[in-house]
Amino acid sequence: MSVEDESATEHRHTESTADDTAGTPKLRTENITKQFGRIVAVEDVSLEIHPSEVFALVGDNGAGKSTLMNMLSGVHKPTKGQIYKDGQPVSFDNPSEARNNGIETVYQDLALMDDLDIATNIFMGQFPQTGFGPFRVIDWGETYERAEQIMMDQLGRDLDIKTEVEFLSGGQRQLVAIGRALAFDPDVIILDEPTSALSVDATRLVQNTIDTLADQGITIVIVSHNIESVLQHADRIGVLFQGALVDIKQPAETDIEELNELMTTGTLSSGRLDD
Amino acid sequence: MATDQGFIGRTFGDRDDVMLTLLDNMIWPILAIVLLGVLVFVPQTFRSARLILWGAVPIGLLVLAESLCLLSGHFDLSIGSIAGFSAMFTGMILGTCPSCWGLTTSPWIGFAIILLVGSVIGLANGVMIAKVGLNPFLQTLAFLIIFEGAKTAMQTQPVTGLPLMYTRVGGTPEFAIGLMLVAFLIAGLVLRYTSFGQAVYALGSSEHSAREVGIDTERLIILIYTISGVLSAIAGLMLTGFVGVVPPLIGEGLVFQAFAGAVIGGISLFGGRGKITGALGGVILIQVVQSALNNSPVIDATQIQMINGIVLLVAILLYSTQSKIRGRILASGAV
Repeated sequence: MSVEDESATEHRHTESTADDTAGTPKLRTENITKQFGRIVAVEDVSLEIHPSEVFALVGDNGAGKSTLMNMLSGVHKPTKGQIYKDGQPVSFDNPSEARNNGIETVYQDLALMDDLDIATNIFMGQFPQTGFGPFRVIDWGETYERAEQIMMDQLGRDLDIKTEVEFLSGGQRQLVAIGRALAFDPDVIILDEPTSALSVDATRLVQNTIDTLADQGITIVIVSHNIESVLQHADRIGVLFQGALVDIKQPAETDIEELNELMTTGTLSSGRLDD
Repeated sequence: MATDQGFIGRTFGDRDDVMLTLLDNMIWPILAIVLLGVLVFVPQTFRSARLILWGAVPIGLLVLAESLCLLSGHFDLSIGSIAGFSAMFTGMILGTCPSCWGLTTSPWIGFAIILLVGSVIGLANGVMIAKVGLNPFLQTLAFLIIFEGAKTAMQTQPVTGLPLMYTRVGGTPEFAIGLMLVAFLIAGLVLRYTSFGQAVYALGSSEHSAREVGIDTERLIILIYTISGVLSAIAGLMLTGFVGVVPPLIGEGLVFQAFAGAVIGGISLFGGRGKITGALGGVILIQVVQSALNNSPVIDATQIQMINGIVLLVAILLYSTQSKIRGRILASGAV
C-alpha cells in the first residue's frame, strides 16, 4: 500500500515532499509478522515511513499498534519479515540497539523521575562526563547547558531546567520525555499515545512540538487513539485492524467517521480502500 | 500561569518557594533550636564536645547506611545487627578471652574479616530483595532477628583481649571522627557527581522509570545493600574501639536512632529526595540529644530508651508534616 498524494493542510511538514517519498524511506517494514504462541498480533505489515514525516498508527485496542511499535523500537523481534532503516536491513535485540540506530521511543508512562529536575531526567543514564579513567564524574555544567539547548533550541520551550518534574503539568512532562529522546540525537522518534490524558492546552503544546521536530528533519511515528489529533498533525495515517495494516490515508482525503469505520471493521462500507 | 502558546503551567509564589526550600533543609533550623535548648537547659553537655562527636561516629556510619537505602526507596532494619554480629564474630576470632576462638591476633586479618562479614550479609540482603523479590521490610527484619540471635548464641559475655591496633581504629577520637567525616564527604560526592549516585536517586524516585531508562536496578539494589552492610560493619568496628571490648549488646537498638537521624536529616522515607549533608546534621542532632539526656539531672538512665522512641516519633511526624505541606503547595500550583 502506498499513498503518494501531497498534503495540502497547513500542518503538513515542508520536508515531507514528493522528492522525499520518492527517495529512500527512513523506515521500511517488509511483511513483518509477530506471533505470541498461537496468537498473531501483527501480520504481514509492509509500510514505508519517509524522512521528516509524521506518520500516525491508529487502531482499536488489540489491533497491533503497540506490537508494531515495539518491533520498531527493539522491544520485540519480528517472527517473520524485515525492518529497514535508511534502506539497510536492521535487526534489534533490545531497545538499546534501536537507539544505536537512531530510533528513540517515548513510552506512554514517560518513565520520568518526579523528584529529580528536568536536566537530570533528560540525561539520566547518559550524563556528560568530565575527568579521565576511573575519575570520570558528571559534568553538571555541560548537563544543564545541553538540557537547556534541547528545551530551548529543539523544543522551543522556556522551562527552567532545574525545576523538579513533579512541579510540571502533563504537557510539560511529555516535553521532558521527548527531550530525553532528543538527547540521544535520534532521527526517528516513536511516540506512544503522546496526548492521552492531556488537557486541550497541553495536547496543543505537544502537537506543536511534534510539528517542530518534524520541521527539524526528525521522522516521527505516533501511536495514538486520538484520531482528531492525528488528522490535524500527521502527514499520513496507517490504520491497523486485527494485526493487519488495512489502509494508509492522507488526512486531506479522510475524516473521523471513515477512520473510525476502518478501525472498527477493517473496511469501508463504500468499499473504498487505498491500495 | 499563562506561558507560551497559551499553555497553562504551574507556578508558585515567593512564599511557597521559601517554604519548599525550608522544608528541604529543615534539619538546620531544628538543629539550631535543639542546640540552643540544650545550651540553656543542660549546658554541661557541651563540656565534652569532642566526646559527643566521637560517640556520634558509629551512629553516623549507620545513618549513612540507612540514608543510602532510603534514598534508593528501600530501607534496612538489619544495620544495627550487622554491626553487632560482624563485630562479635570478628571479636571471637581475634579475642583471647576464655570462651573466644582466638584463631589469630592479626589486626589486619580482623579488619578484612569484619568488612567481609558485613559485605556478605549486605549482599545477601540485596540478592534476596532484588533477585528473589522479598519485601525489604520483611527481609531486613528477618536478618535483624537472625543476626542478633546469632550474636547472642555466639557469646553472652564481653569479648576481651583484642589486638591493640584493632581497637585503636575506633578508639582514637580524631581518627574515628575523621573517618566518619571522610565517609560522609565521599558519599556526598559520589551521590552528586557519579552516574551511580544519580541512579540511586532515580531508583528511589521511581524504580519502574529507572529500569525503563536503562538502569540495571537489580544490580544497583544489590550494590546498595552491600555498601550498607560494609558501612554497618565499620560502625561495628568503631563501636568496638569506643569501649575497647565487644559488649554482648553491641549494635542493639541502633537502627532506630539511625532511622531517626536520617529522617530528621531530610532523607525521604519514600526515596529519591534528600541530601547527605542533611543526614550529617541529623547525626549531630541525635548525638547531642543523647548526650543531653545522659547529662541531664532530671532524666533517669532507664528513661532514655523511651525518649529515643519519642525522638523517632517526632522525626516521623516532622516528615509527615513536611510531605503534607509539600503536597498542599503542589496542589495549589496546579491548574
